[in-house]
Amino acid sequence: MMFLVRCFGFLVLGLLGVQANAANEEPRTKNQEQVAVPFRPEGGKFPPLEESVSYRGELVFVDHANRRGCIRVEGTGQFRRNDPHPFAMLPYGIIRYHGAPADLRDIPLGTVMRVRAYLPPDPKTSSVPVLPINNKDKDANGYRGTGIFPAENHAILLEDDASYCLREGKAWKLKEVDLQLNQGLVIATLEPKQGGDGKAAEQKLTLDTATRFWRGRECLRLADLIADGTWPASGKKSLGGQSVLLGLVWKPCPDGIFVRFHISDVWLDDVATQRAAQSQAEVHKTFIRSRWMPAWVDAVEYGKFGHATVTATLFGGMDPSLYADFQKGSSAMMNGAENTLKHTDASYGPGHMASRGSILDVMKAGGEIPLGSSGIQVRFETDLIIEGIRPGKVVRVRPAAWPVVELPREEHLGSFRHEERFPTPAIFQK
Amino acid sequence: MRLCLSCFSLALCLGASLLAGAAEEPFRPEQGKFPPLDKSVAYRGELVFVDHATRRGSLRVEFKSEFFRSPPTPFAMLPYGMVRYHGAPADLRDIPIGTIMNIRAFLPPDPKNSSVVTTPNHWYPLPLENHAILIEDEPSLCLREGKTWKLKEVDLQNNQGLVLATRDSQDAAAAKEPEEKLTIDSTTRFWRGRESLSLADLVAEGTWPASGKKSLGGQSVLLGLIWKPCPDGIFVRYHISDVWLDDKATQRAIQSQTEVHKSLIRSRWMPAFVDKVEYGKFGRATATVTLFGGMDPSLYADFKKDGYTGAINGAENTLKHAGGSYGPAHMASQGTILEVIKTPGVAPMGSSGIQVRFETDLIIEGIRPGRVVRIRPSNWPKVYIPREEFLGEGAKIEDRFPKPDIFPIYR
Repeated sequence: MMFLVRCFGFLVLGLLGVQANAANEEPRTKNQEQVAVPFRPEGGKFPPLEESVSYRGELVFVDHANRRGCIRVEGTGQFRRNDPHPFAMLPYGIIRYHGAPADLRDIPLGTVMRVRAYLPPDPKTSSVPVLPINNKDKDANGYRGTGIFPAENHAILLEDDASYCLREGKAWKLKEVDLQLNQGLVIATLEPKQGGDGKAAEQKLTLDTATRFWRGRECLRLADLIADGTWPASGKKSLGGQSVLLGLVWKPCPDGIFVRFHISDVWLDDVATQRAAQSQAEVHKTFIRSRWMPAWVDAVEYGKFGHATVTATLFGGMDPSLYADFQKGSSAMMNGAENTLKHTDASYGPGHMASRGSILDVMKAGGEIPLGSSGIQVRFETDLIIEGIRPGKVVRVRPAAWPVVELPREEHLGSFRHEERFPTPAIFQK
Repeated sequence: MRLCLSCFSLALCLGASLLAGAAEEPFRPEQGKFPPLDKSVAYRGELVFVDHATRRGSLRVEFKSEFFRSPPTPFAMLPYGMVRYHGAPADLRDIPIGTIMNIRAFLPPDPKNSSVVTTPNHWYPLPLENHAILIEDEPSLCLREGKTWKLKEVDLQNNQGLVLATRDSQDAAAAKEPEEKLTIDSTTRFWRGRESLSLADLVAEGTWPASGKKSLGGQSVLLGLIWKPCPDGIFVRYHISDVWLDDKATQRAIQSQTEVHKSLIRSRWMPAFVDKVEYGKFGRATATVTLFGGMDPSLYADFKKDGYTGAINGAENTLKHAGGSYGPAHMASQGTILEVIKTPGVAPMGSSGIQVRFETDLIIEGIRPGRVVRIRPSNWPKVYIPREEFLGEGAKIEDRFPKPDIFPIYR
């Protein structure tokens, strides 16, 4: 009898323990039990964008080799008080700058970026700190308000304001400028480029002598616009709702303003916008050609003596000319990679160590392509199937037309130390 | 007699070893003094990593082997260390990752408090002199040393190719530098007057060939250099990111970067060393400080005896303000500039050669002789700086003396 009582006691304690653990993760009621399970991306699947959380902030710190960094997230309080908030790119996460694909190393520190992000897919191996699930709803105290430390810190999309506007078909309409001593305020609204109901809220943005104006193929200064009479040397002038794209940064601002962004760049016309996008697209194309196209392994059909045929989905968001380089019948190389997109290698780099083979087929998926995917699958045959090339794993693929180069040391795994494969969040200051 | 001889030889040996020891003592900068530039070590490499808030980063240093194997080597800026980009003062945050930078550096002044590693990398012969007094990009070096690149020939295929060029000095007595091969492609920007051009633009107007070789006749330009992995087993070959085709374009680039830095310094305040403090009563004191060098002259011109209220604040060697929870704008010692003194002769690198006497009624521990401070004249804006750029309340030891842990170790 005593034994049964003890067993029952342990059972009750155990159940209480389970409940206590659940309570630590997230508060929930019985009715919410089904819906409160937080969404996390799964390995080998592109997550639905509608499950992501969006926020924006200033890029403060970059660790491009591990595809992570810090953003000062805009919340409800005083922006300057917000500590830099770590984020990591998902392996298929897309970065866009000036309306074109980019790498984190291309984004100047200080740029205001927009983020679409999820909870860490696997909290145990997150390269950035794992936070309580409801963290974005908590008041961070110290006049910082809510929303500045979202637990959703694994990004599928990170883009600057110009990229956001081009993707969403929006433009800034400049209403008025007020200049004093080569600096001042611009009043503008963010509206659909075509149409719009004119009801968008007006925003005040600062600008100064460091602001660049792009017109056609010219790079102009505020002094140039003043000299040609377009803008006033001093005082207010109506800008008549001129449609432009803006590059935004953040600078500390006086007068106790909670948050006011600063205009780093103004693209005054479509030619200037296209040239900026083309320039960044060229940078990224040469980058991907040397680092190879990232992809997911969908399936492996094993043959004999190390032979196999690998079906992989190329990640999305690249320039179309890069995908066009994957041609049926051409030779190619494939190498295992980590979630940070670092190549697995040893001391000689991927150009030496990757599995060689040929592209048997290139298939384009029909229907709606999820963000993160290109919708393009390649079937690749190799005689050196390795552990890094298994279903669900990330790989990088090089078609024959791309150069064989040796990568710098920090961009591939060396002697396979644990922290190289799974970088810890220790790099981020508290 | 024998004992005397033995003592004599022992003293001789000791003396000799002491002399040898003194000769081998490596030079380290001292706190409160600007070190002589000729004691620094010069090298160059690719900027790979930046921690701008603590004024440090990593450089892939060029050495006599395959460049891609060179692991990122950490460096820290000395408090008076200068960063220059596009021929103008800059902050580390302004320099794009990948830029080739030229560095002049010393051994850590105090190895115990170094924010970067002080032990040698056993695999690679990389410099231990990792505390920089000067870090500058290629155009800045050329402008400072009176050098230009002379373009000899371009050879293009499929929108990419090679440029043959030499870096020439205006000083006729300077040694001739060897011809270099540099890569170029569709990402290269060409600056002409106020135009920003691409390779396709130059090809379209017939200045450069669409394909094949063309002599460029020794055209004088400035080049921005970066590094990209290159094929064919080349040990090191740099890539041209930017070409400034004329003086107007160069001047516009300088002006642009100058404006960026002026606005940064006005919000973060001018860094300086405290030379001396004359103490008064009830917390009153007059601090004499030497402003650090390398800034735009208009910033120094803002320091004048005007009777208006400015501010002075303690700072760390990383130039981080001491701040508490409200930041320097709230916590700094208020006061007025009594005098601005220009020291005679040529100022050493790191110094502006300008001293300021500043009177305050709130002399604090951070404002002592030899310490680093930041000072704001009355006409600079009073803004609150972001959290990572000042020490918080009850500053943690790692805030004041950042550890090298942030840098991965590559073997």
